[in-house]
Amino acid sequence: MSGLPILSLITFLPLLGAVLIAVLPSGDPNLIRRTALGTALATWVLSLILLVAFARTQAGFQFTEAADWIPSFGIQYKLGVDGLSVLMVVLTTTLSWISILASFGPIKFRVKEYMISFLVLEVGMIGVFVALDLFLFYIFWELVLVPMYLIIGIWGGANRIYATMKFVLYTLVGSLLMLVAILATAFTYQAATGSWAGAFDYEKLQAFAAAGSFGQNFQLLAFLALFLAFAIKVPMFPFHTWLPDAHTEAPTAGSVILAGVLLKLGAYGLIRFAVPLYPYAAHTFAWPIIVLSVIAIVYGAIVSIVQPDLKRLIAYSSVSHMGFVTLGIFVFTATALQGAILQMINHGLITGGLFLLVGVVYERTHDRSIAKMGGLAATMPIWSTVFGFFILASAGLPGLSGFVGEFLVFVGSFVYAPGIVVASIIVMVLVATYLLWMFQRVAFGPVSDFLAGLGDHVTDMSRVEFATLAPLAALIVVFGLFPSLILDFLNGPVQHFLVAAGSAVGG
Amino acid sequence: MNWSDLGSLAPIIWAVLTAAAVLLVDIAAPGRRAPAIATALMGLAVTAAVVLSLAGHTETAFGGAYVVDGLTAFLDLLFVAIAALTIMFADDYLQPRGLPIAEFAAVLIFAITGAMLVAGSADLLLLFVALELMVLPGYLLAGYARNDPYSTEGAIKYFLLGSFSSAILLFGLAYVWGLTGSTRVDVVAAALAQAAAKGSIAPGLAMGLAFMTAGVAFKMAAVPFHYWTPDAYQGSPTPVTAYLSVGPKIGAFAVALRLFVAALGPLKADWLPIVIVLAALTMTLGNLVAITQDNVKRMLAYSSIAHTGYILVGLAAYAGGQHSGISAILFYGAAYTFMNMGAFAVITALQRRPGVTSQISTFAGLGRRSPWLGALMALFLLSLTGIPPLAGFWAKAYVIVAAIQAGGWLTALAVLAMLNAAAAAFYYLRVVVYMYMRDPAEDAPPLSPGLLFRVGLAVTGIATLVFGLFPAILNAASSAAGVLKG
Repeated sequence: MSGLPILSLITFLPLLGAVLIAVLPSGDPNLIRRTALGTALATWVLSLILLVAFARTQAGFQFTEAADWIPSFGIQYKLGVDGLSVLMVVLTTTLSWISILASFGPIKFRVKEYMISFLVLEVGMIGVFVALDLFLFYIFWELVLVPMYLIIGIWGGANRIYATMKFVLYTLVGSLLMLVAILATAFTYQAATGSWAGAFDYEKLQAFAAAGSFGQNFQLLAFLALFLAFAIKVPMFPFHTWLPDAHTEAPTAGSVILAGVLLKLGAYGLIRFAVPLYPYAAHTFAWPIIVLSVIAIVYGAIVSIVQPDLKRLIAYSSVSHMGFVTLGIFVFTATALQGAILQMINHGLITGGLFLLVGVVYERTHDRSIAKMGGLAATMPIWSTVFGFFILASAGLPGLSGFVGEFLVFVGSFVYAPGIVVASIIVMVLVATYLLWMFQRVAFGPVSDFLAGLGDHVTDMSRVEFATLAPLAALIVVFGLFPSLILDFLNGPVQHFLVAAGSAVGG
Repeated sequence: MNWSDLGSLAPIIWAVLTAAAVLLVDIAAPGRRAPAIATALMGLAVTAAVVLSLAGHTETAFGGAYVVDGLTAFLDLLFVAIAALTIMFADDYLQPRGLPIAEFAAVLIFAITGAMLVAGSADLLLLFVALELMVLPGYLLAGYARNDPYSTEGAIKYFLLGSFSSAILLFGLAYVWGLTGSTRVDVVAAALAQAAAKGSIAPGLAMGLAFMTAGVAFKMAAVPFHYWTPDAYQGSPTPVTAYLSVGPKIGAFAVALRLFVAALGPLKADWLPIVIVLAALTMTLGNLVAITQDNVKRMLAYSSIAHTGYILVGLAAYAGGQHSGISAILFYGAAYTFMNMGAFAVITALQRRPGVTSQISTFAGLGRRSPWLGALMALFLLSLTGIPPLAGFWAKAYVIVAAIQAGGWLTALAVLAMLNAAAAAFYYLRVVVYMYMRDPAEDAPPLSPGLLFRVGLAVTGIATLVFGLFPAILNAASSAAGVLKG
């Protein structure tokens, strides 16, 4: 590898942009917008370079950087990526520039603060995916919280303050318990090895865990604390109640990032930390978690049917879709885990797109209630077509990417628990029901009185709006037809996960 | 007594001289504010320099009654910083209300002289006298706005309960003296170590322990001995509240370090359960009540009770066998000083015009009225919440680290502390909501704090950031200061 610290560059380039924006005059919002977009695009290009330079066949972490940060506790500034994190970083940078572009129109006041928050948010998200030191991971994890709190609270909808407080408090309860678990893990390591060196180092801790050195009772407690933090973020049933509020009240771009990246932080944490570090506990709790996942899949789908609000409907459908991810993780088969990771990426692309599309309508009508819509196919034909495409992708139409992930999860879980898979597949009918029924009510039929009353305000998508959606749609088709583009990156991480998870049962 | 004894006492002598000089300057130039402030700050700067010149030495003076060691130096510097910051923030509040600054500065410096004396006490009697020297000026300061009935009410409550607690503490000390035959800390510790080794703790000693715990808990504002705190904090002039929330509190922890750790250390297994219960009650109740407050000053008063609870976790960790608990207490004290004084300073800036309340609605739209004040307040509140990478985060982290390392019941205490920190986010962030997510009142006047005030605010802000980004600096200092023997 070259000596260039590319991961640090990718992580902190948005911060540089944020600082730059801070010194720009706030009287020129267009300059601020362009600077933010430029920064996000530059970060995206860097992440694509990383993606190309990444050696897919090579196991282990690449592009690692390490420096001592707080030597007395062995805390390091350590970054590195494997196939999983590389994909997540690119997903983050992609959705970030799309979100910033999508904010050009809707965000009309305090643009400077908004763009700074957004870029700081990007730093936190990328940092979570590249951190290889548990303490550093925690710092980035918390760094995500504050800008999102501001984005929902300042630029959100009518009930934004309730929503943002709920979001912060839920997340904080989980993350502080996670901090306790991280510290306790480090102490156990320090007590066993007699040295603080490497006590927060993921690779050393994982090797330590693989040797079965963490006691079983300790594993159970630490896993629960970590699991709670990640389960809240995913969010798993019954920790999901912050999500519909946060999604609904956030500005469009905030919803995109929430659904596209923030939920993935939880799933990533489960795959990277919770299972490999505490395999015994992961196996012990696997069944309850699988049951909760299936409940999430079913419950999310049923509740979606009756939602009167477009964003709320998509939010509950996220609960359902993310249930597949946790299901795929905790059945411990290669196929299911591949499916889960695919599902993470697909859900980011598809749900991100759906939120953008709802945002387009909201810009024109300032309303999101399904009952007031109707006949949009006549007034906004391009929008309706694109919306239909994303709806079908979300419903898991074969040929589009949403299908592949769910299919792999089903196949992978079947070996483990056929009954559950059958139940989940039946749910797919519900998914089609709520999505297509919603689409029908919104797009078809006569133009509703509400929309007719708005008259010329209901124009079709603008070019910029189309530009935010086109890349997502393209990726959905490409990944639907060629899932191996993603799966090639996952051989190493999946094997690593299975070996780590298997070390508990002596397999 | 000999000359070298006076050398060890030099910081305290300088502090007393500073206070006297401020009074003299005020006689020479009555009512002039700038000379008094300048004298006070220069005197404090010299005091700090003297403390630094003594740092690294460990000496005892006055027949072992007074000790100069790393702990003394660390705490002395902290107290001097507290006094200097308070004076920097005070004039913006006192001047518009026609209250004199010279008496304020002199009384304040006398108070921190007492605190510095506490930090170096190695004799129980000296400890008590020093404690009284620290708290008596505090009563004066609390009632400094004589014409304000709230200030008077707060001062009287503070005075009455404070006097009771002093008497109770003294009563406890008398038991210890009676049963060990000495007031010297090291002799007491040795006698108690012998008694503990034999496994027989005299009932009188248990009584003494209970009285002393109650007395010190009063001074720290630990639940259930906290009832004076909210009224005293809310009624006092805001800069005084800033001082009361850190000065006497850290002073009380200095008492705890010299009394419980140094003198009663051999009995730590006996007082550990008490501290665990106190810590759990203090942080939980402080936070729960803070959630319901609509007055930011009162909210910060309850939050300061909660922070007492977190610091007590560090004391419990020490008693649980983790010596790092002591440096965690010191780190917490320093971090809390800067972030909390900063938060109170922002309230002071808002209240520069007499008549402005500290209701949360006053903060509406502060982020737009004054971007810098808003941003700094947000920084202080996030730090108080414990969001990384700010000073308050490391303060909590070190305390939790020590508690988890100690294990057993202390792990449960650590989890409780973290849940409390999450609950605390609600009321700290509520202020941020008002500052950034609500519009300012139509008639809100522009804010223009004085130059000295801005310097003080910058110091607290930079400290909150720097101790957050590079905790190793403060951590090294507090570890070096934790010289008390386990």
